[in-house]
Amino acid sequence: MQPTQPAFFKQGPRPLTQLLLYASLSAILMVGDHHFKLLNSAREYGSVLLYPLQWLATAPVSAMRETGKFLTAQTELQKENRELRNQQLLANAELLRMDALKHENEQLRALTATNATRQGKGILTEVLYNGRDPFSAQLIVDRGETSGVKTGLVVIDPNGVVGQITRVNPLVSQVTLLSEKNHAVPVEVKRNGLRAVVFGMGKENPLEVRYMPAASDIRKDDILITSGLDGTYPAGLPVARVMQVDQNSGMAFVRIQCQPIANIDKNRFFLILDESRTLPPAPEPPKQPETKRKKRRGEE
Amino acid sequence: MPVTRELLKPVKTSFIIFSFIVALLFNLIPFPFSHGNLFVLPDLVALLLLYWGMHQPRKVGVGTAFWLGLALDIADANVFGQHSLAYCLTTYVVASRRRQLAVFPLWQQALYMLGLLLLNQFIMQLVRKILGAPFIGWGYFVGCFIAALLWPLITRLLQHPQRKESPSEL
Repeated sequence: MQPTQPAFFKQGPRPLTQLLLYASLSAILMVGDHHFKLLNSAREYGSVLLYPLQWLATAPVSAMRETGKFLTAQTELQKENRELRNQQLLANAELLRMDALKHENEQLRALTATNATRQGKGILTEVLYNGRDPFSAQLIVDRGETSGVKTGLVVIDPNGVVGQITRVNPLVSQVTLLSEKNHAVPVEVKRNGLRAVVFGMGKENPLEVRYMPAASDIRKDDILITSGLDGTYPAGLPVARVMQVDQNSGMAFVRIQCQPIANIDKNRFFLILDESRTLPPAPEPPKQPETKRKKRRGEE
Repeated sequence: MPVTRELLKPVKTSFIIFSFIVALLFNLIPFPFSHGNLFVLPDLVALLLLYWGMHQPRKVGVGTAFWLGLALDIADANVFGQHSLAYCLTTYVVASRRRQLAVFPLWQQALYMLGLLLLNQFIMQLVRKILGAPFIGWGYFVGCFIAALLWPLITRLLQHPQRKESPSEL
């Protein structure tokens, strides 16, 4: 480049300089966002700015869905109605038995003076669309802050746990599914109460139970239910069924694959459970006695 | 037909902005709720960045690519900087090769753009892989081919307002 350019040739910094600048900036943003979660507030402000555009983009899709609903055939509705009636009858019978059990349970709990698992309310919600990020297993549902949804609430379908609310907007919220990579749920084996943690392995992959020693008593077709140990998931909800247990002598842990019991990829309607509990703070770890440390130092 | 053979009117900045808003809208159309990992919708923002980066390098450059990428990252709830990084790199490539590209016929340009769009998706896949996401299948790259097929169409469409009206007085 000539040092004395006419003014109308000026183009700002050269493209390569710009590239280096902006590429390193994006790299910094990536690390800051992923490892340190620094940018959540920036993300919120940005999404407020983008909201009108997003609303415009989703308007035709939701309009199409509304017309689709309107045009559902009557026979289909009748069939569904009959099925629902049947299910309700069955559920009612169960409920009658449940009432007696609940009463008994309350009495027992009063005797042992433990914290009762609170009876929470449920919010029925419909899936609007898949999350736009293809790398993560997320859904957008049609209930938000105005309906009382909070982050961390549990989402279930008639069969079991679907996932967890991870982001809440005023009118919609984002559900992270069980299958999201490295999403962990503390569970126990229904048959014997063995505690474990189930991890998601990515969209449409089976779940995995990790860190179980080779001798642990877990078999094919075992049902895993939430243990409620984390304070997020209420106890006793079915999560997954064990599909395969690989005892590989070369590895320290058993490889256990399981399948979500809920239809996480199919259902349209889910229930958001509001059963958040306030847990007492975890006890502080015991302090090392001073004398021991001194001794060790002396040995060295 | 090489694009340079005819003289075009200067483009209005407002038209560029308008085209980007339309592309953003298109990109924000949600995936209907279904399973399967086929992303047939082309990435229109990337395509427009390549187009304007090639034809209007003074107005649309690496900086524009960065900010648009950031907007998409926010809208998609991706990792911050994933789209920006990919867009910056491809816009730089197209800007530095624009004189060579301008003499290519449209179908050759489309082939070149296909390569760049695939590079885009590859960078994003790589970034997510490094940050721990699983590989989500080859369906992720299908949109690139459709976008490349759209290249001649987009070029004609966006140049339409720049073409001179029939010479009535001379």
